[in-house]
Amino acid sequence: MKAIIAATVLGVILMFAGLFVKEKKSVASLAVFLLFVLLGVNIWDLVTTAPNETLSFFNNMLRVDRYALWFNTLMTGCTLLYALLVSKEIQRVGSHVAEYFALICFILCGVYMLSTYNNVLILFIGIEILSIPQYILAGSDKRNLKSSEASLKYFLMGAFSTGILLMGITLLYGATGTFNIIQYTFLQSDMLSPMALAGILFLMVAFAFKVSAAPMHMWTPDVYDGAPTPFTAFMATIVKASAFVAFMRLFSVSFGAISSDWMMVLAIITAATLFVGNITAVFQQSVKRMLAYSSIAQAGFMLFAVLAVNATAWQGMMIYAVAYSVATIGMFAVLMKMKDYTYDGFNGLAKKDPMLAAFTTVFLLSLAGIPLTGGFMAKYFVLLAAVEQGKMMWLVIFALFMAAVSAYYYFRVIMAMYFKQGNAELNTEVSATDRFLLAITVLLVIVLGAAPNLILNI
Amino acid sequence: MTNLVYLVPLFPLIGFLINGLGWRKIPKAAGGIIGSVAILASFAVSLGIFFEVKSTGASTVVHLFDFIQSGTLYIPFSFQVDALSSLFLLIITGIGFLIHVYSTSYMHEDEGMVKYFAYLNLFVFSMLLLVLGANYLIMFIGWEGVGLCSYLLIGFWFKNRDYTNAAKKAFVMNRIGDLGFLVGMLLILFNYGTLSYQEFFGQLNGGQVQLSANMYNWIAICLFIGAMGKSAQIPLYTWLPDAMAGPTPVSALIHAATMVTAGIYMIARSSALYNLAPAALNLVAIIGLATAILAASIAIRQYDIKKVLAYSTVSQLGFMFLALGVGAYTTAVFHVMTHAFFKALLFLGSGSVIHAMGGEQDIRKMGGLNKHMKITGITFLIGCLAISGIPGFSGFFSKDEILASVYAHSPVMYYMALGAALMTAFYMFRLYFLTFTGSFRGTEEQHHHLHESPAAITIPLIVLAILSVVGGYVGLPPVISEHHTLNTYLGSVLSNFNVHHLEHSTEWILMGLSTGLVIAMIIVARVATKNPKFAENTGLAKVLENKWYVDELYDAVIVRPLGVLADVLDRFAEKMGVDGVVNGTGRLVRWSSDRVRLLQTGQVGFYIFVMVIGIAVIFALRFFGLNY
Amino acid sequence: MNFLLLAANQQTPFSYLPVAIQLLVGIGFVVLTIGASQFLGPKRSTADKLINFESGIPSVGNARQPMAIKYFLVAILFVLFDVEVIFFYPYAVNFKELGQEGFWAVIMFVAFFLSGFIYIVKKGALDWED
Repeated sequence: MKAIIAATVLGVILMFAGLFVKEKKSVASLAVFLLFVLLGVNIWDLVTTAPNETLSFFNNMLRVDRYALWFNTLMTGCTLLYALLVSKEIQRVGSHVAEYFALICFILCGVYMLSTYNNVLILFIGIEILSIPQYILAGSDKRNLKSSEASLKYFLMGAFSTGILLMGITLLYGATGTFNIIQYTFLQSDMLSPMALAGILFLMVAFAFKVSAAPMHMWTPDVYDGAPTPFTAFMATIVKASAFVAFMRLFSVSFGAISSDWMMVLAIITAATLFVGNITAVFQQSVKRMLAYSSIAQAGFMLFAVLAVNATAWQGMMIYAVAYSVATIGMFAVLMKMKDYTYDGFNGLAKKDPMLAAFTTVFLLSLAGIPLTGGFMAKYFVLLAAVEQGKMMWLVIFALFMAAVSAYYYFRVIMAMYFKQGNAELNTEVSATDRFLLAITVLLVIVLGAAPNLILNI
Repeated sequence: MTNLVYLVPLFPLIGFLINGLGWRKIPKAAGGIIGSVAILASFAVSLGIFFEVKSTGASTVVHLFDFIQSGTLYIPFSFQVDALSSLFLLIITGIGFLIHVYSTSYMHEDEGMVKYFAYLNLFVFSMLLLVLGANYLIMFIGWEGVGLCSYLLIGFWFKNRDYTNAAKKAFVMNRIGDLGFLVGMLLILFNYGTLSYQEFFGQLNGGQVQLSANMYNWIAICLFIGAMGKSAQIPLYTWLPDAMAGPTPVSALIHAATMVTAGIYMIARSSALYNLAPAALNLVAIIGLATAILAASIAIRQYDIKKVLAYSTVSQLGFMFLALGVGAYTTAVFHVMTHAFFKALLFLGSGSVIHAMGGEQDIRKMGGLNKHMKITGITFLIGCLAISGIPGFSGFFSKDEILASVYAHSPVMYYMALGAALMTAFYMFRLYFLTFTGSFRGTEEQHHHLHESPAAITIPLIVLAILSVVGGYVGLPPVISEHHTLNTYLGSVLSNFNVHHLEHSTEWILMGLSTGLVIAMIIVARVATKNPKFAENTGLAKVLENKWYVDELYDAVIVRPLGVLADVLDRFAEKMGVDGVVNGTGRLVRWSSDRVRLLQTGQVGFYIFVMVIGIAVIFALRFFGLNY
Repeated sequence: MNFLLLAANQQTPFSYLPVAIQLLVGIGFVVLTIGASQFLGPKRSTADKLINFESGIPSVGNARQPMAIKYFLVAILFVLFDVEVIFFYPYAVNFKELGQEGFWAVIMFVAFFLSGFIYIVKKGALDWED
């Protein structure tokens, strides 16, 4: 609760700071400082809440539990890591640095709402708060046509999906007469009205759009590719993870009891997402675009957590969110150092900068889910949840096959770095601070892989 | 002291890490000192543990940390400290230390000396893990570790193609055995749900889980296959003679005194299982006896000083398995100990000879070395006396105990074993006489170069020679003393199974018979080597010189057919089947990627159209049918 | 009409039949009236009827001219603050019932909007001349 207010106020402070502070560097430092404060507020929230306590705010509009607080804290931590790693690149995007950071603060406000909502109206508001700043961030490189195109496309399709979301909420309200997600648990399978079912399916489609699941994924490659790289990194990680937590909160808490009514449809969406994401990524020439498809593919894995509807699934979602975010942020941070975003741009990086190449390798191994990295543990937990649930073994096997396909396009980068001749040109000098931060990120990836209980037992 | 047991393997591990990581930088002398001190430290701790176990007789499991925990499977990383393991600790670290000291001088000229010490420390570490582990998995880790070190050290001079081939051979042969061990372990795990000695033997003795007698036999035989590989028994013994490619101290430590006795340790450790598996026990006895005879016969016609000793080791290991097979477990352990002393002594002595001869290993070119190398000669003679079983020397006591147990079991086997023992006396003294007596047959240059080795080599020889004499007195035969020190010590963990005691008069007769015949064999050997002529061997001798053509047989029966099969599989199954499927899958993925990618037209209208179609399909699917 | 009422009371896809009928009637009415006027009305197409006509004065130039972005900016900001004012109507009606807490909530709401207003003024969004 405190965090929602803090995020808003800090965002406003940053906006005004942009009016009075002209030096980009000082604005960025201020933003990083304020994100530290925000992390502190989150930790404050966390430690003042007892492990099994559940708090309600605003006439039961928000319901705060330990899981949500811990998720918020971790996501804020990831944002801080992100801000530290890419603040230089954000300064290079355009002249409105303070606004970019303010928008990131507002997005975090949306993240907090999405992890604690107890009412579908708050869900709607949260999704809007999450989305609108993204439309702006996607188009923040105003002189670049691709950036403007991405922004417009995202806005148009986002508006379309918002309509679907509202449609779902409306139908559900019509069927049950309430917005409270706890009240939805009284829905029963054998007397489920078509109106309620249609509402649930519309909500599922709207969420599928937000998390870029097939066939609602079409915007993802164009937007991620067109948006300025630092903001793509943010959109593909923290935003996507929190959309997933919102998805799971509604479908596990409210519709968990009637999971048999929507599970098959979601399973087909999952299969389609895994297929499209992994298969299309194979043919890409640009690493940035490959990462966009990879984020679709990873979403396919995260959907398993939504599908499984059990305790392991919640753990799996938590670790997937963190492991995937950390590795992807690291990968994007490296990508931003490169002059050429194609695979060929990475040729011979291992000779030129062995340290950077080694870091990149760890991030890619984590994304591919190789053991001893966080990505492996994340995949392990979500698939374990699905296996425990037991109804979708065919999908688990399919997912494993697709994970093998994913190794192809991740390893292509490693191949380029280590086995190809070339002169990988760097865009900017990789400073000692960058190296230090990247080393910390690598360490996080490995720690998550070796001791996932660190973030699961809270 | 027992709680400090983790220090015993820790010191060699630290030594390995220091030498292994810094082998390019650390000076040779420092590397040798680090390696030796590490082993000395763990020897000191082992000594403390030994005396504590001796006074309390307790058998403790020291839990270090949880190793594998998954569902109902729970395997802790823990050490078992009891009489059996503490005795092995002493043998390994004690002899290990002497051999390290010896190596500081022997390997002095070698460029990779620090690396050599790193490997040696790693070996000691693995071997300690093997004997200390409180369950089969820890033993298996050590088992594989010593196998790896053996491979690395046999191929230590890897620039020589033959040596690396020998290393490969050792590794492959061991792997075959390991498979048996692994299957045995899995069978135990499958039937009893545990690998821990305490729980497994407890269940065996308590009989909570009743298995058919066949199952006990299968488990025992699988474990024994593991032992066959590691301890060089028929049919997996051929790697050990080839393993002599490694530096001589390595042969002494790994391929005579410690690693090859791991199989005996394993079976002694599992005695509770073997007691329930009579068929497996018989197999152990038969294989042991056959190996003892076969290897001894080959040793008679070998000319390489180390090859003779290698076959002698195989033969002695056969004796130990024979003892295990007739249920005399403590006797086998006794022979492991005495054999470790005198075989290490013999190998180190041969190393000293090779050193003096400038690398020459052919005994046909030696002779009369006694005059030049007094200490080596005398200590080598003590070793020969011990291994031949001359009363008063350690080998006599242990071998006599084995022969007595075998006689009680079956007189026929006794006579065969006695035959092998006599061959032992013959080939050992043939070796001694050819090497140390008579006149020198090598080149003038070698003759000129002959010298006694430095103190770092002779001191270990002297220590081992003393041990080879007194080592036997811990196990006096019942006719002399009722009190058998070693049996009393081991009594808390290990007791002989089904071994009948002989009448004292019978025992006196057997002892007299074997001693008399051994002395006779020594005289024969003396006569046979009086005026050595090395003509081309014919007939049986030629067969023996060529090791019964076993290598050739294996090559023809196993290696070649496998090669042909592999070739066929490579050409057809691999190229067409596997490659076809794999590449086909890859091509399919790329092809579909090329198609699916075209969906991404870049037009918002089309994207929304796809979304709407998707929504329509989802609704259609849900409302008309698909459901859980 | 009895069966329709019956259908509407049941929770099946069939209960949406009245909606479908109304949809059909609605579309049908529009199509019918437009089509009818097309067919029934008299048509006399001459060139004079197709030119722009404004108060009898001949038209000058094209009506579709690019306009300064400022217009849109001011327009969208107007809508934003306009919507804020709309929120006061329900508040005014419930002023007493919401009490202290409601008052502070609205103050906070206004404060945020005010800070937004200050921001756009400072940022120069309302400056007409560059």
